[in-house]
Amino acid sequence: MTVEHAEFLCSACGHTAEHDLRYAGRLLESTRCHNCGHVVEMQPKALLPAYLHDLEQRVTSKPGRMLQRVNDDRAGFLWSLPKAMARQPIKLVRELWTVIWR
Amino acid sequence: MPSESSSLSRVRAAVVLLAAGSGSRVGQETNKVFLPLAGRRVFTWSLQWARQLPTVTRLVLVIAERDRTLAESILAREAHGADVSLVRGGATRHASEWNALQSLADEIRRGDLDIVVIHDAARPLASTAVFADVIDKAQAYGGALPVRPQSALVPLDASAAPLSHDVVAVQTPQAFRAQPLLDAYDQADKAGFVGTDTASCIERFTDLEIYCVASSAANIKITFPEDLFLAEHLLAQAHWDLTNEPGEPE
Repeated sequence: MTVEHAEFLCSACGHTAEHDLRYAGRLLESTRCHNCGHVVEMQPKALLPAYLHDLEQRVTSKPGRMLQRVNDDRAGFLWSLPKAMARQPIKLVRELWTVIWR
Repeated sequence: MPSESSSLSRVRAAVVLLAAGSGSRVGQETNKVFLPLAGRRVFTWSLQWARQLPTVTRLVLVIAERDRTLAESILAREAHGADVSLVRGGATRHASEWNALQSLADEIRRGDLDIVVIHDAARPLASTAVFADVIDKAQAYGGALPVRPQSALVPLDASAAPLSHDVVAVQTPQAFRAQPLLDAYDQADKAGFVGTDTASCIERFTDLEIYCVASSAANIKITFPEDLFLAEHLLAQAHWDLTNEPGEPE
């Protein structure tokens, strides 16, 4: 779960205020207005299929993205590969945990 | 997409992406165009769609100075092979546009650019077809804007005259012939005029005809947090590829 902060116009209080934005993987999971506390969130029953659809795209586009990184910076890619390979399964389990059990 | 007989292949266009934001941010807040959206940052989706066109020969990203390092790192990761010039934004949208035009002025005066397209980076779903359409029409007529009919609008004041059924909402990308656009902003600078959008400055200082291009309702502007959910959903529906999306609703 990553959290970003940005200013948005709130549809509930009508003020332009800072919002917390929580992401599950690449998908936006919820937003909260700092001014009025208004929360907008994706329903769990909608989040899981959306996440799986997104995951499919991430997996199928991964070889192309890796190839791009190799072309851009071969040494940097090889240096970061072992760490990335160790990190990805943990990242995936965390994402699934968030999506299924939130 | 335009037909093969279109004059697009001979046109050289610069796309200016406005990403400087309001300038009112404090603390750790992120400019919303730098937020993640379906695997990319919001503003790089527009770069992705615009740079598919061979007519787009220049890309300019207008940013707040404090976002420069972030913008550079995102461009390195998400805009492989694209030569994107970074230009410092101004206090207003008009000032940001003027800064971008000044960065292109030499190329425009030399005749190396025919069209300048101004696009709000908070509209990540303007498809390649919309960019192609406005460039094509700007070359033919002088200027072009994507618009959506707003037939359901009513005045709040009951005594006010009813609104015309021809009311439209104007979107971006907005495209104009480069030299008249530069001249208009030069005159606006001398006159102290600050326009609300590119078209308002063009209307004030030139006689260019502006063509309205029917656009898609999917070309949303990220304003409310809900818009991010919608943009994410629309991108997923299009399988994350707006290269072949139609510019007009079916």
